[in-house]
Amino acid sequence: MTDALIAGVGMTRFESESTRSVVGLAALAAERAVADSPHAWDDIASLHVGNALAEALGTRAGIANALAAALGIEGVAADRVENTSATGASACHRGVDAVERGAGVALVVGVEKMSVAETSTVTGAIGRLVHDREYEQGLTLPSFGGLAAGAYLDRHDAPREALAAVARKNHRNAVDNEFAQFRREVTLDEALDSPVVADPLRLYDCCPMTDGAAALVVAHEDAAPSAGDDAGSSDDADRSPPDLVRVASTAGATGTHAVADRPDPLDLESVRTAGERAFDGAGLGPDDVDVACIHDAFTVLELLELEELGFYDSGTAWEATLDGETALDGALPVNPGGGLKARGHPLGATGVSQIVELVWQLRGDLPPERRVPDAETGFAINVAGFGNNSVCTVLTA
Amino acid sequence: MSDATSTDGAVDRFDESVAVDRAFRCTDCGRRWYYQRRRCPDCSGTDATTYALETGVLVAVTSVETTPPDVRSPNRLGLARFDGVQLIAQLADEVLSVGDAVEFAGAYRLRDEQERSRPRLSAVDGDSE
Repeated sequence: MTDALIAGVGMTRFESESTRSVVGLAALAAERAVADSPHAWDDIASLHVGNALAEALGTRAGIANALAAALGIEGVAADRVENTSATGASACHRGVDAVERGAGVALVVGVEKMSVAETSTVTGAIGRLVHDREYEQGLTLPSFGGLAAGAYLDRHDAPREALAAVARKNHRNAVDNEFAQFRREVTLDEALDSPVVADPLRLYDCCPMTDGAAALVVAHEDAAPSAGDDAGSSDDADRSPPDLVRVASTAGATGTHAVADRPDPLDLESVRTAGERAFDGAGLGPDDVDVACIHDAFTVLELLELEELGFYDSGTAWEATLDGETALDGALPVNPGGGLKARGHPLGATGVSQIVELVWQLRGDLPPERRVPDAETGFAINVAGFGNNSVCTVLTA
Repeated sequence: MSDATSTDGAVDRFDESVAVDRAFRCTDCGRRWYYQRRRCPDCSGTDATTYALETGVLVAVTSVETTPPDVRSPNRLGLARFDGVQLIAQLADEVLSVGDAVEFAGAYRLRDEQERSRPRLSAVDGDSE
């Protein structure tokens, strides 16, 4: 258990092309999170900005300082956190650490604006995260996804529908999520007939490129809200003020950098290790989890991660998915906000948006058609590269 | 390619000029690996020799349609298990599938931006049909 509470959350809509700047997106999410919390701007001691690509795409360096100024909170300690596609969860981890150390309030903001550059520039920047030897061979993240998906289907004698079912579920969950990039259902046939990206993965097996931001106010349990004029949303009659969600644990782990260095192509050791550390830290196990946000950058990853984390035995997550067990009304709702696939994947914001989604679920803020009933424990995993680094967060109501 | 990497012997195991068809063996504990690292993942030893990879078996294959601008499309790739190590490399032959025996052969530009040519994984004679 940590001493950190998630005292407020907010995000922007995730979309293919935002009219806002990268700092503008971050500021909007931050303002929503602070307004959602009982805290005032003056309470904030530190700012942790998760951003993966702004420098690489040439739009902004020193983003944490730019955001502190935009928000008018100069004086806070500020830093930027980068961990490729797990940047958001790492920024949250940093914020929790700061709060545990300093007993104050931290503002965590994840943001990415991927539409500023040509698609090939963005994929090129992302492509450099692979091992140099793998880069030489022309490998991209979808290449690893294709190899793993082929091996998964072969080994477990699973049909391609097993992958498409993940996309169908996550798209369905996004329909009622006003913050999601793709609010439309896809059928199994649409997914199965979409263009091949890396055989057997098709377009609908892969997450999109996205603009968006998400933010958290992380507060020490002893940090009393100040009485400032801008302090929090007591206008929300449905929530009693202390209805705050606790960060039970947050934990990360690295795996091999080169994907082929793993003894088995379906191993995601970083996922397993980070999950074990997070569950140990929380004093909980997979059976305690009521709702999960799983890093579905590719459909096959949702299946592999559910198995590595102990939610399902090896080779069984695909059948559970086809049977509806991971649907919103299933035994273990997975990615109720649409996941990376349909909510979208703005690299630096994704991990933070997973926490935002879990907080909404645990507080019961969402309308019935989007809510996991009576959820008390939430689990999120955000993964960098193809398992290079995983960061898990466990939240309890 | 430097002389040090063309024969078995002590090398700088982070030397990027090590040929793609060679792997590393820890001098202290015998652990083998393919992707350059400065110390053994098992014993943290820093002395290693290289050895030639001869015949491997394909464990997974994919054909990537959406490739970077300087990479062929489709880019056929195989994850192959060799003596003691695994690696992912481009496939030379379209007919290769899981379970086929492969070896490094030929000289290809793997990416247009690269100056050097490298071997690709190719069917071991008689095993590709």
